[in-house]
Amino acid sequence: MFIHNFKYAFKTLFKNKVLIFWTFAFPIILGTFFYMAFSDIEENEKLDVFAIGLVEDVISEQNTMFKEAFESLSEEGENQLFDIDYVDIDEAKALLRDKDIEGYVVLQEGVPTVVVGENGINETILQFVVNEMIEKNILMKDYFQYKPDEMMSFLEKVQSFAVNIKDVSNQNMSYTMVEYYTLIAMVCLYGGVLSLHAMNQNLANMSNKGKRISVCPNSKGILILSSLLASFVIQLIGLGLLFFYLICFLHVDFGDRFFFIFLLAIVGSLAGLSLGVIISSTIKQNEDVKTGIVIAFTMLGSFLSGMMGITMKYIIDKNVPIINYLNPVNMITDGFYSLYYYDSLNRYWFNVISLFLFTGGMLIISVLFLRRQKYDSI
Amino acid sequence: MKKIIEVEHLTKTYRQKRAVDDLSFQVYEGEILGLLGPNGSGKSTTINCILSLLSFEHGSIKIFGEKMHPNNYAVKRNIGVVFQDVALFDELTVYDNIDYFCGLYIKDKTMRKEYILDALKLVGLEEFVKFYPKQLSGGLLRRLNIACGIAHKPKIIFLDEPTVAVDPQSRNNILSGIEHLRKNGATIIYTTHYMEEVEILCDRIIILDKGKIIASGTSDNLKSLANIEEKITVEDVDMSDKKLEKIKDLKNVENVLYCNNTLVITYKKGKNNLPTFIDFLKSEKINYQKIFSERPTLNDVFLELTGKELRD
Amino acid sequence: MIVFKTVLKILNRCKMPIFIYTIFLVFFGGFNMKTQDDALGFNASKPDVFIVNEDIDKGITKDFILYMNEVSHIVSLKKEEVDDALFYRDVNYVIYIPKDFGKDFMLGKNPQLLVKSTGDYQASLASMQVEKYMRLANLYLDINKNEDALLALVHENLEQQADIVLATTLDTSSLDKATFYYNFTNYCILAGCIYVICLVLSSFRKDVILKRTSVSGMNIKKHSWYLMISNSVFSLFLWFIYVLLSFLLIGKAMFSFHGLIYILNSLLFTFCALSIAFFISSLVRNKEAVNGIVNVIALGSSFLCGAFVPAEFLPKFVINIAHILPSYWFIQTNEIVKSLEVINFSTLKPILINSLVLFLFSLLFIGLSLKKNRRV
Repeated sequence: MFIHNFKYAFKTLFKNKVLIFWTFAFPIILGTFFYMAFSDIEENEKLDVFAIGLVEDVISEQNTMFKEAFESLSEEGENQLFDIDYVDIDEAKALLRDKDIEGYVVLQEGVPTVVVGENGINETILQFVVNEMIEKNILMKDYFQYKPDEMMSFLEKVQSFAVNIKDVSNQNMSYTMVEYYTLIAMVCLYGGVLSLHAMNQNLANMSNKGKRISVCPNSKGILILSSLLASFVIQLIGLGLLFFYLICFLHVDFGDRFFFIFLLAIVGSLAGLSLGVIISSTIKQNEDVKTGIVIAFTMLGSFLSGMMGITMKYIIDKNVPIINYLNPVNMITDGFYSLYYYDSLNRYWFNVISLFLFTGGMLIISVLFLRRQKYDSI
Repeated sequence: MKKIIEVEHLTKTYRQKRAVDDLSFQVYEGEILGLLGPNGSGKSTTINCILSLLSFEHGSIKIFGEKMHPNNYAVKRNIGVVFQDVALFDELTVYDNIDYFCGLYIKDKTMRKEYILDALKLVGLEEFVKFYPKQLSGGLLRRLNIACGIAHKPKIIFLDEPTVAVDPQSRNNILSGIEHLRKNGATIIYTTHYMEEVEILCDRIIILDKGKIIASGTSDNLKSLANIEEKITVEDVDMSDKKLEKIKDLKNVENVLYCNNTLVITYKKGKNNLPTFIDFLKSEKINYQKIFSERPTLNDVFLELTGKELRD
Repeated sequence: MIVFKTVLKILNRCKMPIFIYTIFLVFFGGFNMKTQDDALGFNASKPDVFIVNEDIDKGITKDFILYMNEVSHIVSLKKEEVDDALFYRDVNYVIYIPKDFGKDFMLGKNPQLLVKSTGDYQASLASMQVEKYMRLANLYLDINKNEDALLALVHENLEQQADIVLATTLDTSSLDKATFYYNFTNYCILAGCIYVICLVLSSFRKDVILKRTSVSGMNIKKHSWYLMISNSVFSLFLWFIYVLLSFLLIGKAMFSFHGLIYILNSLLFTFCALSIAFFISSLVRNKEAVNGIVNVIALGSSFLCGAFVPAEFLPKFVINIAHILPSYWFIQTNEIVKSLEVINFSTLKPILINSLVLFLFSLLFIGLSLKKNRRV
């Protein structure tokens, strides 16, 4: 009986286009969007050349040096950073106002002034570059003053000198990884839609098919169990597909702890399954509404655990941690982060156990509701 | 005759409305029992209670002498149900649908295959095995719905309005299928609000209204309750009040109704009422287009008992 | 009127999703606006730095710590809390100064510093400051081996910084927020309009119902017209709510010419979303498919056009693709308004062009959906 029901539950779930869209296609589409949107943030691609103005207010030896430095940065080629307009102060103001340049540098007595229109990356780069020029300039002057004869070897040293800093950070979470993790967590919970559908087929008060199944001479428990197993298997297939797509097509690197990642995903899927089970067994609404609830719950959970910006997760974790302790999406993503971030597995196992507790709790409540076999109305 | 189902004092309330009110009846082996009643009279509720799908306040239900219970699998194995609403998997073919539901009762695969073919033949869907439910017309869908309910050859079959909104061809197919099932030894409980079907099909009829039994018995038994024996209708006829008075004085005439050039005369008893009346018309030189005599229908019975029509 | 009433009744049945989308906007918009203030700013607040000093607190070590105290915000932590603190961004940068650092440094050994960072913008600021100090100290060591004299030279250099002038009188933080908010409405308006209108229209366009309407006394053209108007009223309502919300969340800055542009731009975009919704509803009759399509379109155009991730971070090829999506033009206008200083024809020209493109998109979609409907 178990196998017979499993076979057909599998078949019907698999052929349901809407379910398959949400659990198979949608995550892959979303993953592709993430990939497209975030790929540049990660790969520090060559910076875009942008336009600045250069105003030579005072002509001096020092300013000539600055000017030369700027010129070298505007030469076409690999290292080009700026497009420079050599202008006077009024022209520069006009250009900045019309957004033709991002900012301008005024070479004057003493240190140059940087004028920018707004706060942004390009403006920060400009500021950084100018400060570095000033620093080098003073360094040269000082050297020339104290050790004029060793100037040549010093110039070489300035070029080649490297500060001895070693970054021993734990793997830092890249934005893209955060997105992919929440994506996987979302797929885990979307499994709830599958289990919900599988449950409804077996419940007399939910579907006509359920009525038919209820009058057959079989234990409801076994039928529900085998249907749920079918939904779980499909969920795992969907998850496998997503992993395959992420790894092979989007080249996501899950590192060497892949086994733990997959384990967490499987436990997370169980949590998703239990979510679908509890919603189908406790809420008396039609299937569309229930599906809506599962999806809304998942989206809200994803949002709170950082899908649309990791800051959200930090805020919740710090201010109202209880929400994220109860949020299964967060248990999954937090498990992923900790795996990525900490050497010890304590936090990872904490999350895995939380997920088991969540799953167990949901299932126990569901069973209490499901034990009733007759209904007041159908 | 052996009692197969015994329902005693069944009472079920739905949101303060008595859906089934102190209902008691028996079903005997091999019969087709018709549950007849207007919409909302409690037919489906009664069936759902018997099947242990619904809880109820009072009463007891026994099937094969055993108390019915959701876990009474031995009893359930011998029951087949065709619900009013189509209960099928859109994702499965005709064959797979039957196979799935039949498989819930019968484990042996070769046996099941035979049973499925029998069911397909019974409802006349042999040519549609590879179709999906969405590709079937309303009538064919109903037939598939029936096939799914009876493929495991149950001893008791509940048919809840299987012919609602079905084309005449499918309807005939369904009715002859039911007759066939009975011939093979099944006991059938059939609910409908089509009295014609009940009259043709059922050995015994229970008429329900507002959750109560208002009459039961064979078709002829019931009709005797109608308080009339015969009804003569004359269409397209011109009558004067004087002549109407004369008709009222004829022998055996119970009531005379004249409206829109149609004349209806009801008789309580008597024989040869029609020839007598035709003679009367001739002697009075009354012209008419059409004349016919009817025996009372179950609708007349229902009308007599409740004061309203069976079909609203 | 009866058409309108029916539309309202159907709408009433799907108030849940509308509610959810709106809650999303408030939550996400509100929270993120608060948190992203210092994330990408130019005058960003000082990075949070934690220093673990194993060396004696004198000489260059002491001076370095003093310098870091000046340019960053030094936090105090327990050593074992470092990883958690980094995880939660309580600290951006951790520096481990090894034993004998000062001594080895003065011997010209260029000893190693260990650091941990959050890898974000704040952390890279801290990293730049550390590098700058260490580079100068090392290079000046060639000039003067005396610790005090060396530190004096280093400080003299460090003090010389370019003057930074922000040539804007705009309330940039409010406008940043507003742009962020309105960019996000891209998702809400698109999803809200398409979802609701497709649901309503698919109810009306179900074959049987369509036939029934066709044979009813009502002029079918009039009927479609009523449907359009009812849906427009709904979209306007949705738009109005989001505009109202923007006033609540952003406040004063919205009562300005800039605010007016945001509002008008979003109105135009609502119109465009409406036309897209009509077009999609003319293609899709299946209610179940609506949900999926809505999310793919709304999320897709939000991601690709820079509603979630600022457009300047997007790869070139994505931006190129984005040009064929209406959302891109809507978002571009929001981005321009953010730094719109002088209001005259030449500065408004790009906005007008964007608006024109949006308008043309709307006409295109309406045209397509009319053509599609005629055939049915």
